[in-house]
Amino acid sequence: MRFVIVGAGEVGFHIAQKLSSENKDVTLIDKNAEALRRITEHLDVQAIEGSGCDPHILKEAGLGEAETFLAVTDSDETNLIACFFANLIAPNVKKLARIRNEAYTHFQPGLLERHLKIDKIINPDRELVATIERFIMLPDAEDVSEFADGRIQLIGFRLSEGSEVTGMSLAEIRQRHEGLRFVVGAIFRNETLIVPKGDNRIEAGDFIYVVCERKLVKQILRLFGCYSDMPRNILIIGGGKIGLLTAKLLETRDLHIRILEKDRKRCDHLSELLNRTLVIHGDGTDQQILEEENISRMELVLTLTGDEETNILCSLLAKRLGAQRIITRISKFSYMPIVYAIGLTHVVNPRLSAINSILHYIRRGKILSAVTLRGEEAEVLEVEAMKDSDLVGRPLRDLKFPRGALVLAVIRAKEIIIPTGETAIHPSDRVIILAERKAIPRLENQLSVRVRSF
Amino acid sequence: MQWSYVLKFTGLLLWCISLFMIGSLITSLILKDGGSKALSLSTLISFFTGSILFFPFRKESPRVIGHREGVAIVTLGWFGATLMGSLPFFLGGVLPSFTDAFFESMSGFTTTGASVLVDIESVPKSILLWRSTTHWLGGMGIIVLSLAILPFLGVGGMQLYKAEVPSPVPDKLKPRIRDTAMALWKIYLLFTILEVALLTASDMTFLDALCHTFGTLATGGFSTKNASIGHYQSLYVEIIVMLFMLIAGINFSLHYQFVRGRMGTFIRDSECKLFLLTVLIFIILCTLSLWKSSYSSFGEAFRYASFQVISIITTTGYATADYELWPGLPQAILLFSMFIGASAGSTGGGIKFIRLMILLRHAYKELERIIHPHVVTQVKLGGKVIPQDVISSMWGFFVLYLGIFVVASWLVAASGVDMITAFSSVAATLGNIGPGFGSVGPAENYASLPEVAKWVLSFCMLLGRLEIYTVIVLLMPEFWKK
Repeated sequence: MRFVIVGAGEVGFHIAQKLSSENKDVTLIDKNAEALRRITEHLDVQAIEGSGCDPHILKEAGLGEAETFLAVTDSDETNLIACFFANLIAPNVKKLARIRNEAYTHFQPGLLERHLKIDKIINPDRELVATIERFIMLPDAEDVSEFADGRIQLIGFRLSEGSEVTGMSLAEIRQRHEGLRFVVGAIFRNETLIVPKGDNRIEAGDFIYVVCERKLVKQILRLFGCYSDMPRNILIIGGGKIGLLTAKLLETRDLHIRILEKDRKRCDHLSELLNRTLVIHGDGTDQQILEEENISRMELVLTLTGDEETNILCSLLAKRLGAQRIITRISKFSYMPIVYAIGLTHVVNPRLSAINSILHYIRRGKILSAVTLRGEEAEVLEVEAMKDSDLVGRPLRDLKFPRGALVLAVIRAKEIIIPTGETAIHPSDRVIILAERKAIPRLENQLSVRVRSF
Repeated sequence: MQWSYVLKFTGLLLWCISLFMIGSLITSLILKDGGSKALSLSTLISFFTGSILFFPFRKESPRVIGHREGVAIVTLGWFGATLMGSLPFFLGGVLPSFTDAFFESMSGFTTTGASVLVDIESVPKSILLWRSTTHWLGGMGIIVLSLAILPFLGVGGMQLYKAEVPSPVPDKLKPRIRDTAMALWKIYLLFTILEVALLTASDMTFLDALCHTFGTLATGGFSTKNASIGHYQSLYVEIIVMLFMLIAGINFSLHYQFVRGRMGTFIRDSECKLFLLTVLIFIILCTLSLWKSSYSSFGEAFRYASFQVISIITTTGYATADYELWPGLPQAILLFSMFIGASAGSTGGGIKFIRLMILLRHAYKELERIIHPHVVTQVKLGGKVIPQDVISSMWGFFVLYLGIFVVASWLVAASGVDMITAFSSVAATLGNIGPGFGSVGPAENYASLPEVAKWVLSFCMLLGRLEIYTVIVLLMPEFWKK
């Protein structure tokens, strides 16, 4: 299992980290010697200094023997050229490219896929905007991901004091609300993961993940005291690419949107492209402008500038001035814990979005999708049960499941089953499993998914 | 300013006019209706005047046609054409006063349709044909016509085109200006043939059908009957005329695209959409107001309301009913329609829908700025941003239009005309409509006005047709400085 990754930035680094921790061979190519040194110090991967566009270097990296090739530098052009040569050298290798410029992907549908034989194009901006959209639809949930083509949602939220289920054990909740089919998938208490069992109690301040069908989401969030209506008045700070994409997306709904941008020329450009959004010229860290635009009445403020320090400052300022909800865009992983600590609850990260969708894709085979929870401690996987797997045919209570893994849902054709101890998995069912990081390799063995995955 | 070239071009234009006069001359010879003497004399005079202007400068070719030359050629050309166009009326004894003949000719070329002829049906048919021909020539524009038929006018054509068709956002249909002019005239010709064919299918004579078609497509309004279209009392004729008035009130570049096979271009164009919608709303309002008050049956109210609304808003000015007998609301709507006018790039006059749309949007954006002092907005039409200088020029146009309306109304009133007549006659001539209210209403005409008023109104027609700037810039001292 060999992976060649071009680009040792944060995206490349995190993918390499994950893959190598799962005992896969990773070769990283980057022009920046410093970045490579940092990676080889931390990770057990091979590093090659040089341009990813250089076919000699690609050959040297052993592309011919690799299974998957990832071009994830910050430059679209580099990624495209790297894929072009990779296709010449090893046409059968799976190729993923990170491409942000929509001019490349929207000229003709499937153009790059066909002509450069790129198997999957990842646009972090698009992924990020999709994440933001899910937040807006469910404003109280802090983390939303989808499985089984969107039929099942995994929702993460923080439990507040007042809800009727606070202090109850999971078994009690289940007893009381027997009609409501959901499962509590993971509990984070003081930022550590608890893989929940029936006797675990949930407490105020816990961060909880719940798996359920899409149509039940509202009902379940109401049960946990965490549901409010979609915000109508929205302020976007930063009219960059992501700000623009978000505004465009929100324009299709009936919302009042304002976008604050400090560059005058960019404002002109924005007002040209946006129809119903108010474009306001001003600095997001300027208290006067924020007050002028009535920030205390805003139900949602999105800080989406390209500069994360500015985003953090704007978010704190908006919070102090009374904005009800704030979503902050952060790219650096090292900032993530701090951000939670200073009370910014909703964070979106384009790199994390990119990493998620890349992992989502390279785990294909019999693992259908994967989502990382709260940093990287755990993953939720969607897998297809195979005939020869240990999972099949026995009730769940008899399974020798690794510690730190839990079956959250079973999808059998159109039916969605929230499992109990008695549930048995049939061949070709799709199973959603929560797993701690250390349990993943063993779990993979047990699912016998590796055999045919790559 | 290159006077030599300006004069040469004007001479050429007069040749074109004499060429089209021959058509009426032949008709008069065939019908023997007594117009042949006046028409042959007029044809010769225009031809010789044209030659006098052309021959001294025939070798002259323009170094460059600037904006100034363009404006001068267009204004002078229109003035010359009007002068020649008045000769058949004057020499034929139809209108013995030169003021009246000039007024009638100006009303024809500018597609206004305001007439000083008292008994139209007694005038020789051939002279009536000439009267309607001036409509047809003026509708698409005599300069655009000359651009299309004169082969050597490549350079500087755009300046001329812009001066005569000063649409706020000029669109060139083809890369070359000559081809653009040709395309426009071809479409114009196509509609003309269609309407003549459809009208002759009723019991109208071919000559009457031709005259009414000229009047419709140019949004003019001259008829060969004293009672205008109302003479026929035929629903079929009214429907055909209404349909073609609407067509003439829509931007011809949309027709061009439609003919080229791009269906749905009318729905996509926001000006056209608003135009059709406004027409519909006005018709409904008028119908409801007329039903049970002026007409007992709903169908009748609808029939007369829709004809009159379309006729006035497209600035044609045909009449099937005397709207002076109507209640207040429909009259107010018709008066308002005189100011709005039709679409840009159509043969209609008035302020034009596109200008009003953009100005209203701009005004709304200004209101928004009061609430959000730092807002950055742009006026958009059909997804395209309208540049700031275009908007400024539109405000200028709007203010000038209203200013001219006020000043001209005072002048007309000062000549001894009552107020309603004064205001409505200026509105109807500045917007190139024709009939107004009071003593210039649809049942009467402009014959009774004093001479001074007729000259003021003639000038208003020219201002309205060339959309003010082109004419008024000639009055600026700055224009004549080297």
